[in-house]
Amino acid sequence: MRDRFEIVGIRPQPEPSPKARAEGKRKKPVPALFLLGLIAAGCLACETIMTRDPSYMDLKNCNVPPGGQFFFGTDTMGRDIFSMIWYGGRVSLLIGIAGAAVSAFIGVIYGAASGWAPSWLDRLMMRSVEILLGVPDLLLLILLQAVLGEANVWTLSLVIGVTGWFGIAKVVRTEVRQIRDSEYVAAARCMGGGFFYVLVRHLLPNFVPSLMFMVVMNIRSGIAAESTLSFLGLGLPLSVVSWGSMLSLAEKALLTRSWWVILIPGIFLVTTLFCITSLGNELRKRGNRRESNL
Amino acid sequence: MRESGRALWLGKKVWSFLVSLLVLSVVVFWVSRLAPGDPLVSYYGDRVQKMSPQERQWAQEKLGLDEPIPVQYLSWLRRGIQGDFGISYKYKTDALRVVRMRMGNTLVLGGLGFVLIFVLSILLGVFCAWHEDSLGDRIITGVGTVTSCIPEFWLSLVLILVFSVFLGWLPSSGAYSVEKGGGFSDRAIHLILPVTVVVISHLWYYAYMMRNKILEEVSMDYVLLARSKGLGRGKVLFCHCLPGALPSYLSMMAISVPHVMGGTYIVETVFSYPGLGTLAYESARYKDYNLLMLLSILSGAVVILCNMAAQAVNEKIDPRLKAREPAKDWEVRGL
Repeated sequence: MRDRFEIVGIRPQPEPSPKARAEGKRKKPVPALFLLGLIAAGCLACETIMTRDPSYMDLKNCNVPPGGQFFFGTDTMGRDIFSMIWYGGRVSLLIGIAGAAVSAFIGVIYGAASGWAPSWLDRLMMRSVEILLGVPDLLLLILLQAVLGEANVWTLSLVIGVTGWFGIAKVVRTEVRQIRDSEYVAAARCMGGGFFYVLVRHLLPNFVPSLMFMVVMNIRSGIAAESTLSFLGLGLPLSVVSWGSMLSLAEKALLTRSWWVILIPGIFLVTTLFCITSLGNELRKRGNRRESNL
Repeated sequence: MRESGRALWLGKKVWSFLVSLLVLSVVVFWVSRLAPGDPLVSYYGDRVQKMSPQERQWAQEKLGLDEPIPVQYLSWLRRGIQGDFGISYKYKTDALRVVRMRMGNTLVLGGLGFVLIFVLSILLGVFCAWHEDSLGDRIITGVGTVTSCIPEFWLSLVLILVFSVFLGWLPSSGAYSVEKGGGFSDRAIHLILPVTVVVISHLWYYAYMMRNKILEEVSMDYVLLARSKGLGRGKVLFCHCLPGALPSYLSMMAISVPHVMGGTYIVETVFSYPGLGTLAYESARYKDYNLLMLLSILSGAVVILCNMAAQAVNEKIDPRLKAREPAKDWEVRGL
């Protein structure tokens, strides 16, 4: 390739440079997958890992720093943090996945319908999405949560899902609008394919890659939203153990300088979010790699 | 013809902006009143529990809360158009005045954060694209991805823990300290931690976007042409690729305003920073209806404006989105 002269006219098949090949090997997020698997397995099998009952308040041992008896210490209410991490991780992961599922479902249906619709309806539907996007996330979450009453795992997932589908709907709508006039879609419609048939057979495969990325990212933002809401005292109550509700004790921990109450659940939270992100980035990168001409 | 076309376009934008705001206000009005909770508590405090039914009736009439919701909404709208957004139940003065008092703080925090994010993300993105796959790029990408995963509230907590609790260098809450009277340096010191959190938690998202946009540009054929004509790498990057990447980046930044704004809301709550975020949080929690409405309308207006700006930029770049729709005759004449 680096020859001073090149034959013009015949394009030599660009063989993958060693750099690109090495990159293909390097970019696989094996460590991230491994870590995520480890955390998920630990949460699923929490009954066997836990050393104590995660909700038992051992009032004689409040604010004990990490050590032999309590691996990660105890919080201001005397609960064992090591056990709470695994037990609460289950709840956090569940909320993330359930929220993402809800948002993907609503987003795909709404986005495809909007992209499929005549232009006046499309404009109306997109305008209303923009209006909903206009309410700050936090406000929307607070309002919805207030309407649904006392938060539990399912209402919280629902609320997170219902506030998270706008992005997916917009992407799906744009994709549908770009594909819908292509010949194969027209052919399918001529042969009598209905909306859902065309959606599942012809449209969905086209935007599955970008959709997968967004769904994975929604799992991430769902977990983050749960922790933020619970931290602010608007999500899960203290009695329901999750990474967010563990962190809602942080204000007290700041006063008593018990750093482990803040750092340990947070490190688990951030590690999980990071692993999910690398997974999502891998999904997005796959297949759209181009060489630099610079 | 071009003048009238542009005026019409502007008119349409303003019209849809107003309609969006109206719908938004209806939605927020309804939902906030559906939510359980007693707005009288935020006005009268604990005295509410001792009130007799007659007193409650009188108080509700005084605050205009006894009427059905549509009537309440209409009277709110009628006064709102004249610039009167009612009183805040908690602060017992004009809601507009309460907001105006706090707005400066949020604008400083959010504005400073936004400008820093904007400048730093372009610099970082260009740097990483220029040195693609070098050690520096890989380190920055790694660190950046980690920082973009850290929730704002936790980052704030860690920074408070390190810099306020253990080191004692920086204050952990408020916008200024009472004893020092709130001079410039005092306020600046109080801003350091919140601004850091706002910048760190958003920076990488946009820097990465910039990096990828430039890498996309760099793989285009025109770059090959420019290089083969003998232009230097720097010249091609800064004079050809960067301008090509900027429009879509600008539209991204327009959409980012609400994200940054939402971020400052959370950061404000953690740092007890007296801005609109803490105000919004309080008003939603304690059913301070008028204040809540005003804040939602304000944030909504900002978001809708930003989305429109982004959309306008996008339509100029990707005419495919518009070309699918039949051209309006005013557009044709506008040419």
